[in-house]
Amino acid sequence: MIIQVQDLVKRYGDVVAVDHLSFEVERGGIFGLLGPNGAGKTTIIRVIMDILNPDAGSVTVLGQLPGQAKARVGYLPEERGLYRNLKVLNTLVYLAELKGISRSAARERAMGLLERIQLEEWANRKVRDLSQGMQQRLQLVASMIHDPEVLFLDEPFQGLDPVNVERTKCIITEQHQEGKTIVLSSHQMNLVEALCDRILLINRGRAVLYGSLAEIKRQYAPNTVRVCAPHIPADLPGVVQVEPDDGAFNLALAEGARPQEVLRALLDRDVEIQAFEVAPVPLEDIFVAVVSGEEG
Amino acid sequence: MDWHKVWVVTRHEYLVNVRRAGFIIMTAIVPALGIVVLLFGTLFAGQARQLGAFFVEQFDVGSKRTGVVDQSGYFSPILPEYRDKFTLYENEADAEVALMAEEVSQVLVIGEDYLETGRVVVVSMGSGFSAAAVSDSEMVRAFFVDHLLANRVDPALRERAADPMDAEPRVISSGGETQGEGPWGFAFTFVVPYFLAIFLVTTIFTSSGYLLQSVAEEKESRVIEIVVSSVRPVELMAGKVVGLGALGLTQLLVWVASAAGFSGGAVALLAVAGAAFIPTRVLALGVVYYLLGYVLYAILMAGVGALGTTMRESQQLAGIFSFCAAVPYMLSGFLFANPNMLIARVLSFFPLTAPTMMMLRLPLAEVPWVDVVGSIVVLLLSIPAALWVGTKLFRVGLLVYGKRPTMKEIWIILRGEG
Repeated sequence: MIIQVQDLVKRYGDVVAVDHLSFEVERGGIFGLLGPNGAGKTTIIRVIMDILNPDAGSVTVLGQLPGQAKARVGYLPEERGLYRNLKVLNTLVYLAELKGISRSAARERAMGLLERIQLEEWANRKVRDLSQGMQQRLQLVASMIHDPEVLFLDEPFQGLDPVNVERTKCIITEQHQEGKTIVLSSHQMNLVEALCDRILLINRGRAVLYGSLAEIKRQYAPNTVRVCAPHIPADLPGVVQVEPDDGAFNLALAEGARPQEVLRALLDRDVEIQAFEVAPVPLEDIFVAVVSGEEG
Repeated sequence: MDWHKVWVVTRHEYLVNVRRAGFIIMTAIVPALGIVVLLFGTLFAGQARQLGAFFVEQFDVGSKRTGVVDQSGYFSPILPEYRDKFTLYENEADAEVALMAEEVSQVLVIGEDYLETGRVVVVSMGSGFSAAAVSDSEMVRAFFVDHLLANRVDPALRERAADPMDAEPRVISSGGETQGEGPWGFAFTFVVPYFLAIFLVTTIFTSSGYLLQSVAEEKESRVIEIVVSSVRPVELMAGKVVGLGALGLTQLLVWVASAAGFSGGAVALLAVAGAAFIPTRVLALGVVYYLLGYVLYAILMAGVGALGTTMRESQQLAGIFSFCAAVPYMLSGFLFANPNMLIARVLSFFPLTAPTMMMLRLPLAEVPWVDVVGSIVVLLLSIPAALWVGTKLFRVGLLVYGKRPTMKEIWIILRGEG
């Protein structure tokens, strides 16, 4: 395991921000850290990054205490910015040197990364001259300037336009393909769904959902099938409700009814089926259902 | 502590700030003033006397023409040597007309009972202060003494009565050594070190001001969280303290070098001569207080700088430290008279005033050893305490965005942040 968090507690006065939380992050995966505003996501990341000290519990990153692993971890905080009056290249070199990279190696890697995000021509311009989108890309590559093994990205898509969202997704995917472990905190559930393989959903500092995203979605899938066909017969066995939906039909199944039985019944009645699938449940629906259920 | 990271921060802070427009302008001001003085000197060469007279006239109220209404009879007629500066009037009404017409700048109404009471009414169109300043004017004082004693005593005695003493300070230490003999000795032993102390204290605040600015800007631009994910707050603070301390020294060196250059090396010689005259004890202790003072203020400035959400807010918060350090300056007038007065001794034991107070006291008198040892111990104990509080404030403050934390919030977070 790359990250192990055991029984973590963090309080601010009387407010418990993280309440006996435990989870693990596997090597090479993209791990989603989700939760409503104020759930404690940023506090957890700050503890793992050794910016805050925990009140109780233990954290190990790459088998080391958080403070000892700083050089092997990259971090893009939610509240982020760069030295506006510094040159782009100098900014990256300074941040790399703080991670223990030599000046010459830092320059070489910085130029390589700037090329990858198409900012190489801006290397000797000041950060303040860059557009908002360029600055956001620069912030992202600044977090990986020292070629870290683990990347913590706190709300990396916040404030990005659709073009930059796609660019950021590409960079994250590339890093993942290079074998990096990525911990992603985001409110954009569709992006989490597209990128993450495991998630932890927290509310009021406690874990409410944790595990493989596919498993969680299976667990929360409604007993519904989606059929793309010209029509649906009225008296299908095991079907309690039929709802047209954008050229297809959503068939709500009775308790105990199985999708295979519905498919067989449709074939028996010669219905011309173009597509048949167990209806997927968006992560957002699971998120809303779980958090609303928690808050009563 | 990772010293390599401290060095990286030190170098970064120095190189970034040494190129700042604000730093360059501030550093260039002294040489620029030197150039102005040189040009001024060249343009007005040979007219120094007239120039001196001009300045004397600006500051000495007694150098302007004064009206006199003499009801006592001791000042009529006015002695010939005073007739170009004093004009006699028959009565107050005539004098006031002359005052309104700006023929005189003030009127002295000397009553009939002057000899018994010494009462003189000063009428002027300026502020009450300008009227009060007349009594301190050497010219006016000489006018009174000369008229009272004219034809009554011999001229030498009359002159001495008008200017009774020309003080030449001579201080004997508890060890029986004589210090500050002669006017130059006094200047080198007391005046030069005193102004050197003021100069050094100023550079302490210049450097710690840069530190405050550096922290506040990193917080305002939101880069600070990225930085502290790589270095520990204490390493970041140490790098800033050293880097910006070096920046302050650079400024000091530029000023001294430029002053030496403009004066053809005279200032450098004066500094060497001054240093030779300054007792070793004062010089060594001055350096100790300078270093301790800078480290203490810099740490506190860094901690407080992180609490504000903008540069302006951080400066407001840091104002309390600047105020404390300025208190000894406010007492300068009293310190000259008695550097070992009770309030000065008390403030020498308070960490926020100790460096400034001791640096101002040391050149002026032999400060008791208990004050020296006590204040150094207080500062040595205060620095780790300041580092503890400063690092915590820094750690807490840098993560609070959007609004300045209240005292209650700071206390809660400090308690919670182990």
